[in-house]
Amino acid sequence: MTVSEVPESTTSTGSGAPWGAAAAAFTRWREGDDQGLDDLVRLLSPVLWQVVRATGLDRERAEDVVQTTWIALVDHADAITSPQGIAAWLCTSARREAWRAGRQASRERPVEDQVLAHGLPDHESPEHQVVLDDEAAMVRSCLEKLPERCQKLLRIVAAGPRPNYNDVASTLGMPVGSIGPTRGRCLDKLRQELVQAGGIR
Amino acid sequence: MNEATGAPRSDDELLDSVARLWEKIDPPPEDLADGVLARLAAQDLEYELLTLVESDEALAGVRSATMLRAPDETGTWSLEYLGPGFRVQLRISRRGRQARLDGWVSPPQPMTVMLSSVLRKGSVLEAQVSDSGRFEFPVAPAGACRMTFVTETGGRPQATPPFWI
Repeated sequence: MTVSEVPESTTSTGSGAPWGAAAAAFTRWREGDDQGLDDLVRLLSPVLWQVVRATGLDRERAEDVVQTTWIALVDHADAITSPQGIAAWLCTSARREAWRAGRQASRERPVEDQVLAHGLPDHESPEHQVVLDDEAAMVRSCLEKLPERCQKLLRIVAAGPRPNYNDVASTLGMPVGSIGPTRGRCLDKLRQELVQAGGIR
Repeated sequence: MNEATGAPRSDDELLDSVARLWEKIDPPPEDLADGVLARLAAQDLEYELLTLVESDEALAGVRSATMLRAPDETGTWSLEYLGPGFRVQLRISRRGRQARLDGWVSPPQPMTVMLSSVLRKGSVLEAQVSDSGRFEFPVAPAGACRMTFVTETGGRPQATPPFWI
């Protein structure tokens, strides 16, 4: 991946997003403090996990992709000119590596075995038994009412710094031009469901 | 959450709540970061190899295995390597036991270049890449050598595979 392909701006997600701490850790590492890299790995690996899992990759492959992404960072850190862009760089690299690994996995497996983890887990699965607070439980039940395509797309665009539409289009196999409008429609549907459920008054 | 304000939530706020949901129902393995750090430690962090993309082996028949026993050969040959974000062209001129190495880095960038003999450990020559991307070793060692590039911004050094002078 070349630097020019990577969005430098990190549109921050919610409160507590670790982008500022990540930029500081990256700067310390580049100034010679090895602990900076350790801190960066601990801060952003959970974010990369969500980015990679959102593409539908299974847990084992996802872990491998997260590791590969960090190796790529160590090899190409010189190319990252702005510490503020570090989270975006890592997430973009991870998403592309996940997409590549997913294509390879689907070539290796018979079609009927392809169970991608894009959508919400089944009610029987362990993930569904996690105790959710009221907000998460409501978001979950509202999301489940959306078409699967919306669930996939919203998971992808929600993970990490907001991704660029080219990457989302590649992951979902959709035309780039349709991502923005589809994202908007899916968010409107989710908003309507939340209003109906009483989540937004 | 904006229930208290009664305002419709923004797209970003909605996406944040989707992200928070997934963090809860699909958490990473507890040892994810430890696995990453172990893998990074195991990775050979000494240097990254450059790729040979072109070689003009004008003297291929003469050099090769007999190289060290043919000290009187004379000629010029070139090699080109590709690294992350830069290319290196080398021109090696040899006249008897004397060899000279000229190099060009493109695009030009400040780097320290080290030329080391594979057989004689500790024999290392150093040069700086000029503003125009040029560097030179007027007196280069003969035999198998390796060239290492270190950028001013740090990071892993880039090294060529061994090549013959």
